[in-house]
Amino acid sequence: MTIFTEAIKVLIEDRATFLDIACQGDENLRRKVEALLRAHDHLGTFLEEPPAEASIE
Amino acid sequence: MKLLYHAVAEPIGLSPENFEKTSGALHFRALLFSNRLVNNMSDATVMLAAIKQGDSKAAEELLVLVYDELRRLAASKLAHEAPGQTLQPTALVHEAWLRLVGDNSRSFKDREHFFRASAEAMRRILIDRARRKHTGRHGGGYQRVDFEGFDLAAPAVDNELLAVNEALDKFALDHPIQAELVKLRYFAGLTNEEVSEVMGISVSTAKNYWTFARAWLLNEIGNDGKT
Repeated sequence: MTIFTEAIKVLIEDRATFLDIACQGDENLRRKVEALLRAHDHLGTFLEEPPAEASIE
Repeated sequence: MKLLYHAVAEPIGLSPENFEKTSGALHFRALLFSNRLVNNMSDATVMLAAIKQGDSKAAEELLVLVYDELRRLAASKLAHEAPGQTLQPTALVHEAWLRLVGDNSRSFKDREHFFRASAEAMRRILIDRARRKHTGRHGGGYQRVDFEGFDLAAPAVDNELLAVNEALDKFALDHPIQAELVKLRYFAGLTNEEVSEVMGISVSTAKNYWTFARAWLLNEIGNDGKT
């Protein structure tokens, strides 16, 4: 989680280098963090709205 | 039956016709209700004090109490609102607090256990509804709205809610603290500031956890959709 938290603060063009240093060759770890970063780029308002709009007919 | 209606159904805004239709479901609960209505407020206060002392049974009892109250409030609001109105879980939770504990001056730390119970209760209520609608659609028929049921706005909303819930269970295995934060924010509607106070973490930590959790859950849901 910490790598992710730091990675999102880094400029996009610097991300690859940052991950090189942070993941230290651990490809599994790098893949996981990259997946999270991709999701982060598409977050939008995901979960920021109340759970379900409930209405009666 | 008439006495029962006045004691139980009328106070929560249920019309006589709807009461008749659902009295089978209500009946066995009415006896419990009429005894509990006067006791609920002191019950909750006692339970909260016991939980602070480490009484885990009291925590379970509080969950049941809160769950009942939130369902009642939801049904009452829906009976009074015009069609198309929406429920705000956050408002329900805060109203349940006022009704069950009634002390608006308590700090958020004192409300910690109550909010945790409310988050879990709200989660179960919403998931139950979503599952019922999901089953109803797959069964081919449209489920008639009963007095304590409400129709979710669209299938997509149900599916997302069910997907989030499943992902959250998985998330909780490796990241229990962050998962708890998600429940408090998403199901009880607490803000980052309120969550930080309830959980005893800094606001910036709460924000970091929230961002990480959202990314993790979105990634998880996205992966499922790719099968």
